Amino acid sequence: MASGVSGYAALNARVRAMYSSLLSPQDMLRLSEATDFPSLIALLKSTIYGSYLENLKEKELTPRRVLLQIKGRLADAYFSVIHMAPGHARPLLMQLYRYYEVGNLKAILRAIVTGPVAEGESSLWDQVSDVLFPMGSMSVLPARAMVEAGSVAAAVELLRGTRYEETLSFAMKRYSAEQNLFPLEVALDLNYWRQLWREAKRLSGLDREYATRVIGSLLDMNNLMWAIRYRVYHQLSEEELINYTLPFGYRVKDDDIRAIAAGADIAAVVGRIYPAITDINELLADPHRGLPLLEARLNRYLVKQCFATFTGNPFHIGIPLAFLILTNLEIEDLTILIEARSSQLPDEKFRPFLLKTAML
Amino acid sequence: MFFPRAMTEIELVVPSKDLLAVTKILSRRGVFHQADSNYPGVDTGAANTWQETAAAYAALERRLQLMMQTLGIEEGQPPSAEFEAVPEIETVRSAVDEIEAEVKRVSDQLSAEKKRLEQLQSDLRQLEPLAGVDADIGSLRGSGYLFSMLGQIPTANVDRLKTSLARVPHVFLILRSDSQKSVVWLTGSKNNADVLDRAARSAYLNPIALPTEYRGTPEKIIKNIHEAIQTTQQKISELNGELKKLAEARRERLQRLLWEVHASRVTADAIVRFGQLKHTYVIVGWVPTDDLEVLTQRLKQASKEILIQTVPISRAGHNQHVPVALFNNKWLKPFQMLVNTYARPRYGELDPTILMAFTFPLLYGAMFGDLGQGLVLFIMGLLMHNGKFLKSMKSLGLLIAYCGASAAIFGALYGSVFGFEGEHFYHTFGFEFHPLWISPLHEILKVALLAIDAGIVLLSLGFLLGIFNHIRSRDWAHLTFGHNGIVAFVLYLSFLGILGRLDLPVIPNLARALGTLPVPFTALGIVTGLGIMFSEVFRNLIEGHRPLIEGGIATYAIQAPMELFEVIISFLSNTFSYVRVGAFAVAHGGLSLAIFSLAGEEHDLGFWLTIIIGNLFIIGFEGLIVGIQTMRLHYYEFLGKFFTGGGMRFEPLTLTPSSEEG
Repeated sequence: MASGVSGYAALNARVRAMYSSLLSPQDMLRLSEATDFPSLIALLKSTIYGSYLENLKEKELTPRRVLLQIKGRLADAYFSVIHMAPGHARPLLMQLYRYYEVGNLKAILRAIVTGPVAEGESSLWDQVSDVLFPMGSMSVLPARAMVEAGSVAAAVELLRGTRYEETLSFAMKRYSAEQNLFPLEVALDLNYWRQLWREAKRLSGLDREYATRVIGSLLDMNNLMWAIRYRVYHQLSEEELINYTLPFGYRVKDDDIRAIAAGADIAAVVGRIYPAITDINELLADPHRGLPLLEARLNRYLVKQCFATFTGNPFHIGIPLAFLILTNLEIEDLTILIEARSSQLPDEKFRPFLLKTAML
Repeated sequence: MFFPRAMTEIELVVPSKDLLAVTKILSRRGVFHQADSNYPGVDTGAANTWQETAAAYAALERRLQLMMQTLGIEEGQPPSAEFEAVPEIETVRSAVDEIEAEVKRVSDQLSAEKKRLEQLQSDLRQLEPLAGVDADIGSLRGSGYLFSMLGQIPTANVDRLKTSLARVPHVFLILRSDSQKSVVWLTGSKNNADVLDRAARSAYLNPIALPTEYRGTPEKIIKNIHEAIQTTQQKISELNGELKKLAEARRERLQRLLWEVHASRVTADAIVRFGQLKHTYVIVGWVPTDDLEVLTQRLKQASKEILIQTVPISRAGHNQHVPVALFNNKWLKPFQMLVNTYARPRYGELDPTILMAFTFPLLYGAMFGDLGQGLVLFIMGLLMHNGKFLKSMKSLGLLIAYCGASAAIFGALYGSVFGFEGEHFYHTFGFEFHPLWISPLHEILKVALLAIDAGIVLLSLGFLLGIFNHIRSRDWAHLTFGHNGIVAFVLYLSFLGILGRLDLPVIPNLARALGTLPVPFTALGIVTGLGIMFSEVFRNLIEGHRPLIEGGIATYAIQAPMELFEVIISFLSNTFSYVRVGAFAVAHGGLSLAIFSLAGEEHDLGFWLTIIIGNLFIIGFEGLIVGIQTMRLHYYEFLGKFFTGGGMRFEPLTLTPSSEEG
């Protein structure tokens, strides 16, 4: 307890301060009522994100640049939390942050495969750099050199000595044979989540309890959605589906994943784990629309789990973890809004996916 | 000192012939923060040429760095002698080409030998688990009736692969395993080959691919590989020796070339962002006003025809685009660090560093008042600052020393030395040590009220500074109706005035004093309360924003009273939050009493050991908690009242990266 108080007191104070600046459901509702992209940006400027947008000139206010800027807030949050966290908690927080590094790595590989842009357009790096999460010095990826390397193999070669070398060396053999990024991406994902779970399990006491609860809930959602997508979209065999998923989590057990892999009724499995989701059959009837909606429902469970962490004893790692996840979900909500407004999507196409407004 | 350094916007019109001389001065002095000159009317067509030059120099720089890395040569410091601004690229390139050819010849051979060694070692690793198998490798590779796969798999995937094959008859053997990878053999009926192959592939089991020239038993092949490894290692050692000699011979030349190329790249990068007219270049940026005179003199020496226009940037108004350079006073560095952790001040905004240098130790000392423990912290802080103790916390040394000094002063005021107070002090040391001011443990209520009074003073100061900042930034809407503006401040004072007039036994002294003033606080409170309740409408009116109410009247009708409620709650919580200052001063005495009761009555060795360990515990544990509480009071209660932050960092052009302030 004493180490918990002394280790987390400063961090807890900082996180509580940052937590109070998260957008409220009402704020998000107001933003979602903006009629077009410029008015959304005008409203966004009056929020905590204003300071991230003020350096953009008028002509730079494109959806892509705006998204890049607002992600800066999440990067700042991680930076702040990691630097104030007690030593034993940092590895888990760092690993959680690497989610964006893995995302960047996948984006770089996809860009290389998509190939060089047409003559006269901006360079491939210019295009890619705008979609990369701004991790700054906390990333080990030589991003620009990788993009400019010209091929996936040459880019992966640049990752020698990094934590991705071993994982990718196994997956590259399959990439060379199949010329498909799928095995690389799955290998990166599985390795990331295994490491994250391992870091959570390395903790002790209250830290371990809350870390496995929060990280486990996050993992549940990913693992379950992987299993469903692999079966519904990719129609993978039982053995492939098992190898591409993970055997641990908070609510979702390995038996559930194996049941889905073996062809059990998905609605029954999901309904058993999440009894409050009652319309799974309807969602699965049209997987292209239904699965993202199911993911949004599962995210709501995650949000509840995160909010619940803020009650009770505050001196544990659950608070910063929950805060970082909530900030990420807020950025995801804003991403949906910005993309919807910039592409003039009708309200009914995107509103069901907003998490914050669903809490009203 | 109270504001970031005054900046002057500088616009230079430079004749093309003097471009390099001027850029050299701008990029070497470390005082010029460049802005993009890409504004309408300025033709930046020539930027492309410089862009190519910058790219060419960047490529050369990378090549040089790579070469130096290969040769194990460090970059070194910039040479003291001046070098040409941007030397002819072809001359530099041919010099780089020449050395690179020499290095490449050896390093390519070295890479090839290393690759061969790696391959041999990899083959060896693959074969070693099979060393005891008395069979021809070829026979394991293929069979008429069995599916067989010998390969490597990430160790983390082994269990999952086994799970995935639970319903298929198979044999799975782990031949060798470490934390990263395992060598395994998977076999089963050819009828199940599809399933086994899919499972193996999806678990990233990579079949071992031994070159076909390896024949015979694993033992025989391993012997041959060992011999080949020895030969290769000898070659590698010879090539390394050759590289070492090359490094000795080329060190100085490479270092000189690197800095020359680096300087040229910095210069070219800067020029890319200049605007170009027909015969002149337009350069725009910011310079700290103190450095302006020297810089302009140098620029005029470099170019007789240069036109220099300077616009001192007023601190009033919105100046978010102006870079912020903070004063780097080494004694204030820890407080600057605390402020920067919260946010970097904007240009024109009051830098709260000095204020915090006063309030932070003050609040810390008030909570941790003990002459002895304060002096220990003070000495510990100085030792840390000088790198003689806890080197990793050097940056916190001064802060701890200041807080320790303040704690020592408050210790004298509270009459506490290493927890000894009053009777205890007299019985132990034989003479009296009276508090110079107050004993928190004996006058708990008084201390708590004094702490709240201090909070009222600090919060009022916060409000006044916030108002001051709003006036400077000409943010009239927030000046009047912001949550830290004039109306809110009057509401706060009215709130205190009303509180002071209540007939309650415990009222802060300042609130009581305010309540005696002949001011209609109730009426003022109602008027300002309405002002805060409808502050959004008033702010929109002042700023000319329409619609005045967003989200509909009904939503607003619910939102407005809640806003007032929230503001009043925050007044209450912010003010009473400072009671912790008194509470900690009392708790400090209480904790010492607990240690004395553990130590017992007899002044024997056990007593003194308990006192020493107890004091160490108090210094470490309570000292840390008080530090966090002090930080919390500043971050939550105080800074938020007047400090916005979000300033842009001053990043001058320079050859070497600048050191961050604070």
